[in-house]
Amino acid sequence: MVVRSPWPVMSPNRDVLEAIVLNGNLKLYAELGELARYLESAMRKMTEVGAPMVANSAQLPQATAHLLDLNKMTEEGTLEVMRLTEIIQDNRTRAVKDLSAITSTLQAVDCSNLAARLEKTVNDLTQDEKHLMDIMTALSFQDLVAQRVKKLVTIVEDVQCKLVELVVVFGLKQEGTPPETQGKAGEMLKQLEASKSTAIKQDLADELLSEFGFK
Amino acid sequence: MPADPNMKILVVDDMSTMRRIVKNIMKQLGFANIEEAENGQDALTKLHAEAFGFVISDWNMPVMTGIDMLRAIRADDKLKTLPVLMVTAEAQKENLIEAIQAGVSNYIVKPFTAEVLQEKMNKIFK
Repeated sequence: MVVRSPWPVMSPNRDVLEAIVLNGNLKLYAELGELARYLESAMRKMTEVGAPMVANSAQLPQATAHLLDLNKMTEEGTLEVMRLTEIIQDNRTRAVKDLSAITSTLQAVDCSNLAARLEKTVNDLTQDEKHLMDIMTALSFQDLVAQRVKKLVTIVEDVQCKLVELVVVFGLKQEGTPPETQGKAGEMLKQLEASKSTAIKQDLADELLSEFGFK
Repeated sequence: MPADPNMKILVVDDMSTMRRIVKNIMKQLGFANIEEAENGQDALTKLHAEAFGFVISDWNMPVMTGIDMLRAIRADDKLKTLPVLMVTAEAQKENLIEAIQAGVSNYIVKPFTAEVLQEKMNKIFK
């Protein structure tokens, strides 16, 4: 007696393999589709942030230049304060020396009161020497500021480099596309730039004031 | 041995303001024979050209740092006994250890006062 199977007869190994492959392909296609959708969304977001990024990266050299200007301006101001302090120090050293000589002379001719008063003046001047030295050492703030600024400049230049790489790799720069609103940072940089080129010196300001009747 | 007021001192710092401050303090302490250098390389050139009794140096400088200059001084037979005082903003423990291992004579952290500089110098030249 022949028993017929109610099921279609299949070659077990080949058909199972085909089913597995078909199933695997479907899953793969689904995942590829998901990946494609994800990539497309990421690229769209990159393009959205691209224009402001390009605009901001163009401002970074300006920011670096202003930071370096800061170093230069603080250095110039500090050197001027030092110059004046040194003049005062030298003048005081001479005055102390002269007064001490006068004091000795007065003591020699027995003018002790006058000698005592002069000695007090010499002591006051000597105390001020310490204050003047403290002013000089306090000016070392400029060195610390300059070091911090140099580190900031390095960071800004590094960020600029990386932004440029992004722009190049993702092709974000579009010809003829105006930059989006530059925001508060951009405005402040513009004002800084303007103050460099349009700020007037005191003598010119005085000239203009006198034209308006200011005496 | 106390410091000779006539000895030539080399102040090494890339910031002109800092060099001026140290020079001013040294002058107030009675040391008027001061020369300056902008970086470690410049300093080494001067040290090889003339006889100096003392070096006061910053750490972070372009071309050659203070720590590299110190190592070069200690490696040079003619300069190895030269007292070197580091005056620097590098205030990490690792920096101090590195300076000690490199052979620094003493170490001051910025900002500093004239009294601290004098105290450290007295310790070097006692």
